[in-house]
Parts: sequence; C-alpha cells; structure tokens
Amino acid sequence: MRHDCGVTGATFTDSGGTLALGGRWTVAHIGELEPQLRALNGSVKTIDMSGVERIDTVGAWLIHRLIRDGGAKVTGASSEASRLIDSVGKSDQPVERHPFRGSVFVHRLEMTGHAVVSQLHVLGNFLAFLGKTMVVLFQTIFERRSLRLNSVVHQMDVVGVHALGIVGLLSFLVGIVLAQQGAVQLRQFGAEVFVVNLIGRSTVRELGILLTAIMVAGRSSSAFAAQIGSMKLNEEIDAMHTIGLSSFEVLVLPRVIATGLMMILLGFYGSMMAILGGGLFCWASLDMPPVTFVTRLQEVILFSDFWIGLFKAPIFGVIIAVTGCFQGMQVTGNAESVGQRTTAAVVQSIFLVIVLDAFFAVFFTALGFV
Amino acid sequence: MRRPRALERSDREAAQDAAHAEREIVIKVHGLENKFGDQIIHHDLDLEVRRGEIIGIVGGSGTGKSVLMRSIIGLQTPLAGEIEVFGKRMDQLDAEQSKDLRRHWGVLFQDGALFGALTVTENVEVPLREFFKFEPSFLAEIAGYKIAMVGLPAIAGPKYPSELSGGMRKRAGLARALVLDPRILFLDEPTAGLDPISAAAFDELIKNLRDTLGLTVFLITHDLDTLHAICDRVAVLADGHVLKVGTIAELMDFDHPWVQEYFRGPRGRAATAGVTPVKESV
Repeated sequence: MRHDCGVTGATFTDSGGTLALGGRWTVAHIGELEPQLRALNGSVKTIDMSGVERIDTVGAWLIHRLIRDGGAKVTGASSEASRLIDSVGKSDQPVERHPFRGSVFVHRLEMTGHAVVSQLHVLGNFLAFLGKTMVVLFQTIFERRSLRLNSVVHQMDVVGVHALGIVGLLSFLVGIVLAQQGAVQLRQFGAEVFVVNLIGRSTVRELGILLTAIMVAGRSSSAFAAQIGSMKLNEEIDAMHTIGLSSFEVLVLPRVIATGLMMILLGFYGSMMAILGGGLFCWASLDMPPVTFVTRLQEVILFSDFWIGLFKAPIFGVIIAVTGCFQGMQVTGNAESVGQRTTAAVVQSIFLVIVLDAFFAVFFTALGFV
Repeated sequence: MRRPRALERSDREAAQDAAHAEREIVIKVHGLENKFGDQIIHHDLDLEVRRGEIIGIVGGSGTGKSVLMRSIIGLQTPLAGEIEVFGKRMDQLDAEQSKDLRRHWGVLFQDGALFGALTVTENVEVPLREFFKFEPSFLAEIAGYKIAMVGLPAIAGPKYPSELSGGMRKRAGLARALVLDPRILFLDEPTAGLDPISAAAFDELIKNLRDTLGLTVFLITHDLDTLHAICDRVAVLADGHVLKVGTIAELMDFDHPWVQEYFRGPRGRAATAGVTPVKESV
C-alpha cells in the first residue's frame, strides 16, 4: 500500500514487511504521515531507504521508531541518514509534558492547603511590613532618619496632581447621578429639597473619600507594585541593601507619606467636585439657585461629617500605598509575577479600603456621630 | 514547487569536505546601514556566511553585533542595505514567504527567552504546534529526543523555566531553536554567564550538532575559548562595518590595534595557548 504526502512530499510503500521510502523525509512532509507509520509499527522487517532524497531528524526519528519497536533492518541509507538515525537513537528519551500531580482529589486537597498556608504567610508578612513601615515613619518623624523630600514631592506630583483630572471628573459625574436619582425618589414625597442633604452629607462623609480612594488604589497602588516589583526582579533592591540604603526609607516611606497627604487633598477635592456636580444638576433641573443650594448645604453638613471624611482619607492613603509597596516587594522569579502582584495590589487595596470604610461607618455611628 | 538550491541538503556532505571558498553562501549582507538616533551602528557593512560553517562574530561592546543578528532575522528593519538568506532578499518577501523562511532558522537568545508560563517540553513543542498539526504523542516524542540531544535529562521536561539553572535554560532554548530542524542556528552569546565547564560542554554540543545536523551557525560571542574551540571563521566588527573575516590565525596577523589587543592580549594569549584563563565570576 502506498502512502504519500503532496506532490513533492515523502512517500512510503508497504509490501509485506518491506517498506520502500521515497521523497523528502523532513518534518514538513513526513510529519503528516506519522499516524499511518505508527500503525505499521512492529510489522516492518526491512526498510529500503534508497529512494529518500532528503532526511532530517524527524524523518530519522520515525525510522528509528520502526527499528526500535519492530527490529526492522535498514538498507540503502546514505551516510548522512545513518548518522541522523544513529544520533536520534542515542537521544531516545521520553519526557513528560507537565509535572506529576498525583490523583486529582489529592492534588485539589494539596492546592487548598497550600493556598490557606500561603494566605496566612501573606497576612503575617503584610502585618510585619506595615509594622516596619510605621517604625520607619516614627523614626523619621522624630528625626532619627532622614526623609527623602525630593522623592516625597515627586510622588505627590504623580499620585496627586496627575490624578486631579480623573478624580475630579469621576466625582463630578457621581454627584450628578446622585442628585438626579435622589430627586426622582424624593419627588414622590414632594421632598425634592432634601436632595441637598443627600448630596452634602453622603459626599463629604462617605462617597467623595471612598471614590477617590478607589481611584487612587487603581492608579497608584498598581504603579507602586509594578515599579518596586521590576526593581526587585532587576536586583535593584538587593543593590540598595548592599550599599546600605534602606528600601523602606528610600522607596516605601516617600510613597506612603505622599499618598497619605495627597489623599487628604484629593478626598476634599473629590467631595467638592461631587457637590459641584450635584449643585449644577439642582440648578439646571430642579430650578434651585446656587445661593439657595449653598445656604442649605451650610445648614445640613455637620462639621463632624467633614472631619470624619478628612480623618479617613489619610488612613486610606497609607493603606493603599503600603499594600502597593508590599505586593511589589513580594515579586519573585519572572515577569508574570509582576503582573500577578500588581493585580493583587489593586484588589487588596480596594478591598481593605472598603472594609475599613465599613468599620469606620459603624465605629463613628456608635460614638454618636450620626 | 521546486525549492531553491540553497534549501537542498542532499549534497551537504560533499560541500562539507570542499574548501570553504567553494561552499555556497547562505547569508549575504550587503551595504547594511543601521542608526539609532544620531548614533551610527552600521555603515556599509558586508558579510557572507557559508553553508556548514560556524562563524563567530566579535567586536567591542556597542559595535552592533546583536543589531546585525536582529537585522538578519528580521527583528530590526535596517535603514538601507540588502540581506539575502538562502538567496532570497529579506525585504522582498511577503508575510507567507517570510513565515516559511523563519522555519529554516533557529535563534537562541541570551538567556534562552523561554516562555515562562510553559514547561520546557511545551516550550520545545511551540514551533511544531505553530507550523504543523501533529498528534500530541508525536509532539512529545519529538520534544523528548530534542531535549535529550541538547543534553538535558528527562526530568527537565516537565519543569518551568524559573526552576532551571542558567545553563539548563540555554540548553532548553537551544532545543526549542532546533525543533524544526533549521538550516541556520543563530546564537547570541551562548556561553555568557556559564561556568567554564558548562561553557566548554556547550561549545562541544554546538560543534556536535553542527557535525550531525549539518547546521550553519552564526555565533555572537565574547568568549575567546569558544572562538578557538569551534569557530571556522571569525568576523570582527568595528567602526560600523566588518573589519576582517578569517580564521583566527589570519586575524592574529591582521594589523589593527583592536584586533591585535583582542587576540594577543593576556586573555587572547591564554586562549591561544590552550590554557583556560580564569573567568570572572558573575
């Protein structure tokens, strides 16, 4: 039976235990005939290679397989072909594609245990990192360490000034949405004027700060993780330590201080932009003149709301920066790790911000700041 | 469709025995120009690589050795000049022809450039999967003997690149470069960062592969021992062009300060004497 592959391709003709080969026994030509050749394994006694025009290691491998499994004899091979068959024969070594994992159940169990243990490790390391950052922060405050002022100012520019546009736009739009949705609901009670209470209190105390924190977490926490992560891969952190620089002093603290400070300003700015959006909506859609809006605002916003908002902002900022830097420091191995850690930085910092916000909401209400 | 003669391999043995000058030319670079901003990397560079030889490319840092390799394999578009591989002008190929041509060369980058998300076996299978539709078991067989050919043990197959040493990563990268049975092998500093024993073993491996598979090897190196041990000819890059191509003996008699310093400096003398010089540990 004759098999061939294309016009210029490889052929083999099987006649009762003798296989006559022809054409180009190279990867591009003979590879397609591999299943048919596999079927002949063991039944071939003689291989006549005199018709082979060209051969590479893949062709040689297929012939080696016939020899190995069926004890076939080769005739008419060129010296080049013999050398190749000999060479692949010496390299006959089966390999696995994936690491051995055992049974699926045991593997799952192992993965679960591994995940739990590694999460506990991460938690412990994070607390240690947070503690170390606080120690360095207080040492800096009491002038036992120098503060990298240039670095702080640079980070303030990157974290704060560059975020003005997006944070402002986001807060402004959320302010409009809040006013519009609030107005629709309150209209049913004829209490549209309470839209001002809704906007004023919710933005200053909660939404303005929270939205800004989420935005900063998305922008800056990821940036910190990626920057520090690539420095870690490039052994720059190790180089710093050998020179005697502290990575906390040089990298972490400037980012933490800058983010903490800029969160206060950005949070305030975000709240103001949300109020501006809400105010414009009230003016345009509810015919409430700006003067009335501002007067009502002064009456409804408690000073405690304002202080609670501004109290939370720097804490969120510090948490965001510490999470970003911590994840950056956890990078090991390859570029994929940088990606994973950057994602983890964003997810964890947003998670922590929202958990803390919920905690503060309960806490301050319990204290009587309603 | 007949393939051009340059792609034929049947008369390779005869060619191997023949004198260098009679061998056909597989890579021809003529009048190559490369610039980065104001910095001229190559100016009017000519180079010919013959079939079946191991050609070493040397030159000081920043003389454009890697850029030359990247220009030939099409990772860098030169400003001017002609590059012919197997007699085909690289800039006149359409996408299909270009992909077809790429099958006939393998490239080993400095640190192996293995795909980090795949195991060694999967890495080696990538080119096969891209070009052909083979059964998974056949893919694994091919990957298996290629991995063995470059001297890696079977246990390296299911490992990820990050779990391997530098030398093993280079071998795995070489297995991937060789998997399509290329005619030309491009190596970018294959022995850099290896200990002397591994470096010598790698030299031996490349020489053996050239002899068994009939490869043409384009080798960028700083390693004088490699040059002495395996290169048939050496091309010296300086001032933006190829200063001289020849055997090491010819280059040692070539009157140029850099070439003299290179081959007759303390390390060059040690390598010539066959004494392994003390390598700097990285």
